[in-house]
Amino acid sequence: MLKGAALGFAGLALPLDRANASFWEAFFQKHFREMNDAEIKKVISRLEKEYAEKYKKAITIGNEKPLPGVLYGYGLDLSRCIGCRRCVYGCVEENNQSLDPQIHWITVLRFKKGEKWVDLENAEKYYNPETVPQEDYFYMPVQCQQCENPPCVRACPTQATWKDPDGIVVIDYNWCIGCRYCMAACPYGARRFNWAAPTRPSEKINPNTHYLGNRPRYKGVVEKCTFCIQRTRHDPGRYPACVEACPVGARKFGNLLDPDSEMRYLIKHKRVFRLKEDLNTNPKFYYFFAYGN
Amino acid sequence: MIQIVRNFFIALRQIAVGDKKYYAWVGFLSFLIILGASAYIGQLNRGLIITAMRDQVSWGFYISNFTFLVGVAAAAVLLVIPAYLYNFKPIKEIVLFGELLAISAISMCILFIMVDMGQPLRVWHILPVIGAMNFPASLLAWDVVVLNGYLAINSVIAFYVLYRLSIGKEYKMSVIGPLIILSIPWAVSIHTVTAFLYNGLPARPFWNASILAPRFLASAFCSGPAIMLILFQIIRKLSEVEIENKAIFKIAELIAYAMGINLFLLGAEVFKEFYSGSIHSDPIKYLYFGLHGHNNLVPWTWFASILNITAFFLFLFPKTRENFTTLNMACAFVITGVYIEKGMGLVIPGFIPDTLGEIYEYTPTMQEILITIGIWATGALLYTFLLKLAVPVYTGKLRFFSKAQMVTAGDIMSRRIITVSPDTSADEIAKLLVSRHLSKAAVIDQNNTFVGTVSEADIISLEVGQGADRKIADIMSAPAAPVKEDVKIQELGKILADRKVSSLFVVNKDNQPIGAVSGNDVLRALENIRQE
Amino acid sequence: MKRSLVMCAAFLFICAFILHPSFAESAQQELPKKLFVTPPPFSEGIFPCSQCHAGMPVNRTPRKLEMMHQNIILKHMPGGWCFDCHNPDNRDTLRLANGKIIKFEESYNLCGQCHGTILREWKNGLHGKRTGYWNGEKQYYLCVSCHWPHDPPFKPIKPLPPPVSPSDIK
Repeated sequence: MLKGAALGFAGLALPLDRANASFWEAFFQKHFREMNDAEIKKVISRLEKEYAEKYKKAITIGNEKPLPGVLYGYGLDLSRCIGCRRCVYGCVEENNQSLDPQIHWITVLRFKKGEKWVDLENAEKYYNPETVPQEDYFYMPVQCQQCENPPCVRACPTQATWKDPDGIVVIDYNWCIGCRYCMAACPYGARRFNWAAPTRPSEKINPNTHYLGNRPRYKGVVEKCTFCIQRTRHDPGRYPACVEACPVGARKFGNLLDPDSEMRYLIKHKRVFRLKEDLNTNPKFYYFFAYGN
Repeated sequence: MIQIVRNFFIALRQIAVGDKKYYAWVGFLSFLIILGASAYIGQLNRGLIITAMRDQVSWGFYISNFTFLVGVAAAAVLLVIPAYLYNFKPIKEIVLFGELLAISAISMCILFIMVDMGQPLRVWHILPVIGAMNFPASLLAWDVVVLNGYLAINSVIAFYVLYRLSIGKEYKMSVIGPLIILSIPWAVSIHTVTAFLYNGLPARPFWNASILAPRFLASAFCSGPAIMLILFQIIRKLSEVEIENKAIFKIAELIAYAMGINLFLLGAEVFKEFYSGSIHSDPIKYLYFGLHGHNNLVPWTWFASILNITAFFLFLFPKTRENFTTLNMACAFVITGVYIEKGMGLVIPGFIPDTLGEIYEYTPTMQEILITIGIWATGALLYTFLLKLAVPVYTGKLRFFSKAQMVTAGDIMSRRIITVSPDTSADEIAKLLVSRHLSKAAVIDQNNTFVGTVSEADIISLEVGQGADRKIADIMSAPAAPVKEDVKIQELGKILADRKVSSLFVVNKDNQPIGAVSGNDVLRALENIRQE
Repeated sequence: MKRSLVMCAAFLFICAFILHPSFAESAQQELPKKLFVTPPPFSEGIFPCSQCHAGMPVNRTPRKLEMMHQNIILKHMPGGWCFDCHNPDNRDTLRLANGKIIKFEESYNLCGQCHGTILREWKNGLHGKRTGYWNGEKQYYLCVSCHWPHDPPFKPIKPLPPPVSPSDIK
C-alpha cells in the first residue's frame, strides 16, 4: 500500500512535464466532425509530430473521406476457414495494435461440429492444437460488423463514435472519454479498451495511418476494426489486411452498392446469414458456406 | 460582501472545530481518503489495468457502487412523499437531512463515474454545446443531465432552507415548494434513467428486461431509507435534533412494503428465467448456481437473498420493527442485501457469459477496493461536514447576524420547548423533561397563552409519591415572566441577570410561548456580532 | 459471277468465324484485362522444364518414375498419371483433355476441366485468395498456389497463438 502511495505521488510528476502548448492544444481539441479541413490539418500535423517524437520515425496520418457510392461489405466463407489466426495477426501488424497489453481486433471462435453453435454459447477462442483445421471442428472469425444500425453509436454519450457514409463505424481516439458504454452495447464483442498505455516497438509501427483508423492509440480509449480504413478508402483502394492474410481465401470484401462486386455475387448466389440478426443491428458481415466439404 | 466572507469563515470554523470524537471520526475518514487517493493516482498513472476489469467484463466494482448510490440518492428525497402527501409531521422535519444525504450520495456517484473513466480530463466532452453530448440517443447522456439536475435541486433546497434558518428566518414555502414538488418525479427519474441505461442494451439479455426499472426503484426504496434510519439515530444521539420514534417506525414500515415489492419482482424474474430456460437465463443461473464450473458469485447471491427476506419480515412485524435492536439489524441486512444484489449482482452477470460466450470471473483488485472505500469516506466526510453545519443551524445554535440587524430574543431563541396544560400531573411533566433533555416546561391555558413555568427544581422539591396527585397549579412558579420576542438582546442580558435565572421563555405578541432563550444564547450571539 | 463471288466470300468468312479457335473455346474464357494471376509457384530452378527434357526421348508408358520426380506421388485423379496433364511434347506447357496446349500461367483452365463449378466461383472471387485492390487490379491466386496439383487437399497448418486470457493480462 505504501509502495502504491509512493508510486502514485511519483506519477503525479508525469503530466506536469507535458504542460507545454501541445498538451493544451490536445485538451481543447474539438470534435472531429466539428472541425473544418484546415483545423483537421493542424491537428494531424500536431499528432504526426507527437508520433514522430514517440516512435522516432515519420508517421503519416491520412484523412481520406468516404468514397461516394460505396458501402463496404464483408463476406466470410465458413466452409473454408481453418482457424489458423493469420487474419488476427495480419490485422495486428497492419493496424498497430498494442502487443502488451495484447489487443486483437479479430476473435476466431471454434465450434464442435454437431453441437449447438449459432447462439455462440459453446464458442471457444483459446484453442491451440498442433495443426488446424481439426477433424471435428469448424471455425468462425468475428470482428466489428460495421452495423448499419449500430447500438454502440447510439450508446456513446459524447458522439466519439459514429457511422460514416461508407458504412464504417469510426472512433475519434482524441474525443473518446473511455466510459466503455459502447463496449457494453456491442452484441459482437468487437470493441477493445486500452486498459493500459498501448505498447508497440517502433520498428513494428506501420507508418501509413488514418486519423480514424490505425494510428497509434492512447491509454483509456476504445478501438476496433475499421475495415482497414487506411487501405480501403482510396481509389483504387486495397483489400483489408485480413483479406490478404487469409491463406485459404475465406475472406471477401467489396462494395455492396456495386452490382458487379464479389460481395453482391456472393449475397445473390450463396445462402448468407449474419450474426444475431434478431437484434436488428443490420451488420455488414455476411457469413456463408461456399461449395465444398 | 465582507459579510459573506466573514460568515463563510464562521461556517468554516464550525466545521473545523469539534470535540475529540469529531476529530477522531474526521481523522479516520481522511486517512481512508488518502489511501483511496493514492491508489487512484496509481490508476491514473498505469491506467484502468490496475482493476480487474477487462474487455469481457468492462464494468465492475465502480459502476456497481454507482448504481447502488443512485438508489440511495433517489430514496433520500422520496421520504418527501409521505411527509407532504400524508402531511406526516414527524417526517417533515427530517426531510432536510434526507436531502443532505442525497447531495452526498450524488457526489459519490459522480466520483465513481470519474474514477471509472479512461480519460477523466475529457469529461467536458459530455457537455452540451461546448462538448458533443449525444442527447437524446444516449442514455448515459440522459443520466448526466438528470443526476446533475437532481444535485442542483437538492443543493438549492437544502442551502436555501439552511440559509434562511441561519439568519433567524423561516423558509418561504412559495420558494422551495415547487422545487420540492419537482424533486419527487425527478428522484424517480434518476433511478429510472439509470435503469434504462442497462435496460436499453439488447446485447446483454440479463439487463434487457422490462423488470429492471421497477426493481431498481423498489430496491432503492429499501436501501436508502434504511441508511437514513441509521443516520437519524446517530444524529439524534449526537445532537439536540429531535426525531420522533414515530417517524422512524413509519419509515421502517415503508421499507417493509418496498422490500415486499422488491421480493415479488425478484420472484417474477426468477420464475421467468428458470422456467423459460433459454440460454438467456445463463446469467441468473450463474448468480444462483454457477455456470460451467464458475461460481464466484453464488454464495454472495444466496447471502443477499436470505438477508433481504429476513429483513422483510423484521420490518413487516411491528414487534420487531419497533424494537431498536431488531430494527437496526434489519437495516443492516437490507443495506447489505441490496448492495450486493444491485451492485455486483446486477453489473457482473450482464457480462457473463460475454457476447461471444466467454466467462471471465471478475473479482475487484485491492486498488479498486481502496479507491471505492476512499470515495465512500469522501461521501461520509461531506455528509459529516454538512451535518456539522446544518444541525446547529437547525437547532438554532448557529446564527449569522449583521451589525445592521437589531438582534432580538426571537432571533436567537431555541424553538425547542415543552408546553403543558394546567391539569398535567407532575410525573408526566417529569417524564417529558427527561426525554427531551429540557429543564423547564411552559404552562399554557386553552388559548395557548403563557400562564407559568414548571422547572426541575419545582418537581424535585415535591415529596416522593406525591407526584401523581399534585397538579401544576400548586407547584408552578409565576415570577419567571416570559420576555417578548422583540426584546433586544442587550436588554435580554440585563433581564436574565436581574432575575437570576438561566433561561426564559419567549412569547409572541399574543403572549403565546414560541421559544426559550438562555444566557448562553445571548453570549454566543454577542460573540458572532463581535466577530464582524 | 459477282453474286456467286460474294456468296463464296460470305461462306468462307462464316467458316473462318466458326472455326476460329476462340469461338470454339468460349467455355474457356480469358480473364478480364484488369485481373491478374499470381505467378505459378515453381520450385527453385525447375522451370523451364525443357532445359532437361529438350533432348530426352519421350516414354508414354504409365509407370512409377524412378530416376527423377520419384518424390511426386500422384494422389489426385485415381488411375491417372503425368501425361494426363503435362504435355509430353513440350514440358514447358500443359495439355488439356481436348488436346489444347496451355501455359502454366493458365493452369486454372486445366483444373477447371473437372472442377468447373470451383472455376466459376474462382473467377467470381468466391473461391480462393485475392489480394490487391477491391475496386481495381486484383491478383487472383492460381489454384496451384494453394493446392499442390499432385496432392491438392489443403494441408493443416500450425495455428498462430491464441489470445492471452483476460486473467493473464496484468
